[in-house]
Amino acid sequence: MGATGFQPGRILLLAALTALALIGFASGDPGILSGANLYSMAVFAVEIGIIAFGQTLVICGGDGGIDLSVGAIAALSQVLMGMALQAGIPWPASVLIAAAGGTVMGAVNGVLVTCFRIEPIITTLATMFVFDGLALVLTGGINIDLTTMPQTFLDLGQGSVFSLPFQLLCIYLPVFVILIALQHRTLFGRSLYLVGTNTLSARLTGIRVDRLRAWTYVIAGLLSGLAGAIGAARLGTASPTASEQANLISIAIVVLGGSSIFGGDGSVVGTAVATVLIGVVNYGLSYNDFNPIYQAGVMGIILIVAVLIENLASGRNWSAVPFLSLAKGKSSG
Amino acid sequence: MSLKAGARPDKLAKPPASAHGWVRAAARFAKGREGVLLITLCLLVIVISIGSHGAFWAPVNLNNLMVSAAVTAIPAIGMTLVILTGGIDVSIGSMLGLVAAIGGKFFEAGWSIPAVAPLFCLIGAAFGLVNAAIIIGGRVPPVVATLGTLSIFRMCVFLVLGASWITMIPPELTVIFISDRLWFLPVASVMALVLMAVFAFFLRSFRLGRHIYAIGNNEEAARLAGVPVARIKLYAYTLLGMFTGIAALLTLGQSPLVQTSTGTGFELAVIAAVVLGGTELSGGRGTILGTLLGTLIVGLVNDGVVLMHIQPFWGGVLLGGIILLSIGVNQRWPGRGGEATE
Repeated sequence: MGATGFQPGRILLLAALTALALIGFASGDPGILSGANLYSMAVFAVEIGIIAFGQTLVICGGDGGIDLSVGAIAALSQVLMGMALQAGIPWPASVLIAAAGGTVMGAVNGVLVTCFRIEPIITTLATMFVFDGLALVLTGGINIDLTTMPQTFLDLGQGSVFSLPFQLLCIYLPVFVILIALQHRTLFGRSLYLVGTNTLSARLTGIRVDRLRAWTYVIAGLLSGLAGAIGAARLGTASPTASEQANLISIAIVVLGGSSIFGGDGSVVGTAVATVLIGVVNYGLSYNDFNPIYQAGVMGIILIVAVLIENLASGRNWSAVPFLSLAKGKSSG
Repeated sequence: MSLKAGARPDKLAKPPASAHGWVRAAARFAKGREGVLLITLCLLVIVISIGSHGAFWAPVNLNNLMVSAAVTAIPAIGMTLVILTGGIDVSIGSMLGLVAAIGGKFFEAGWSIPAVAPLFCLIGAAFGLVNAAIIIGGRVPPVVATLGTLSIFRMCVFLVLGASWITMIPPELTVIFISDRLWFLPVASVMALVLMAVFAFFLRSFRLGRHIYAIGNNEEAARLAGVPVARIKLYAYTLLGMFTGIAALLTLGQSPLVQTSTGTGFELAVIAAVVLGGTELSGGRGTILGTLLGTLIVGLVNDGVVLMHIQPFWGGVLLGGIILLSIGVNQRWPGRGGEATE
């Protein structure tokens, strides 16, 4: 485990599940397999997919690494971008502001986790409050309308290239390729696996553990900011409450994709395949008029069942011992 | 007492006899986690008193503050136990909503308060057991499992409520828990204080309580020493579920309405209070006294934002800032040397 992070078996399983989900939805209504629907599926999946990439790196870093603030970063970044656009700043600079803003917010997380040694889950829980709150304060809780902005900007989330969504072809895939290279072909990526697997031996090997971990938060922030910018362009509005569910869904995707929540295992490739599955399930449910809350619920079920199955497959057997011992009234670990 | 690794040893020592000793003890307390919190609390009270031009001390406000702190404090006890064992439960917000929805259905069906109140505890405990089954039985990491049940419970709230709200909550509920007083405190606050005292004593002086610290410090070692690890964790999650059920009942007393969003974000307030109180997420360190102070601080911040006519959106920013500042200061400059991990 953790030697390469690359898990062909997991990827095949996810692909099979995705096919199964598609067949299931199609048997309910074959219309879902139309080109237009598959196109929208891709559009919706791109943003959360980008956020999940960052989450993959943070979780891979181990030692409780997790980023609950990704949704808040996306929201605050897109609000910053919206305000910049309204102030008349040209759109490329505004998108840069979103990306830079996300990077800075990620850096705040990284510094708090590594320099101040606050647990990642607490740090990012608190910064989630802070970033979400700042987004609301800056906008007064009102969405910023961006529909009057130049079409070139809106194309960031609405355009298409070779009849594929612009953001899929020109943002998601390049980011994906870069991250594959980063995780599997660079010193940074390989060291990160060691850091996640065994912090102490990584430190003794001479790896700057803290610096490495801090960078994962920075990257997660940058990617969340980018996702926020795409989302705002897609909807033509910058909303302080956008991506509220992003932390849950991104963690679900990462865990589904084969990353160990304890770090040191998993790959962005698995994350990408899991994104497709989640994208299909999400779209299929809303296509069949399910309430978004049910989508989240189904997501929760998938998440838990996936880990349960993985536990069985990897020999971490389920245990009925505590419950049996309760019934017998005897003590046993 | 063999297993006292969890608490700081000097807290277990007898208070020093001389006056000089008392000063030293006070100084040591002020440097420790609870001391920092107490100072933060006092500062907050002063700031809010000045900022609200004394409106803070109005009996109505104090009453509201104590009740809302109690609603957070009761599940916070359970959360402290869960976190002490090295786990976490982020699902209790949805759990609270679900218990309130199911319990509300019983109220709608015309059941009386004495009949339904125990049901709230039982239903809550059942959901806690569901979490425990997934975490301990299924060996799913607590964060993952409860993130999952967070959205599953919320889905169930929608399934139970449909499109309608439950408004037929008996008004006596408010009278019993909120307006009635024991001595000068609302009944809800007395319940919270009694439970806190009981569990503080339990954690400090009972074998089971010491086992909880032992599990959090080193689960494998505890297991090898014969501590029934799985069973104790099971108790902790179930107890948290039960306390969440009580909180659901009190919430209905505060505002007699169940809607699909009831309890959203509640888990954040509770976890924030516990963590602010100095309980470490890696387990094995933390006290109920800290949790009480953490709960009060969270309550004060929310109350102060309203009283001082600050835009409500600042509430989250302030709360997040206080959590980071308080824990960051404590981690960067620990009061007693050599306690920082690694």
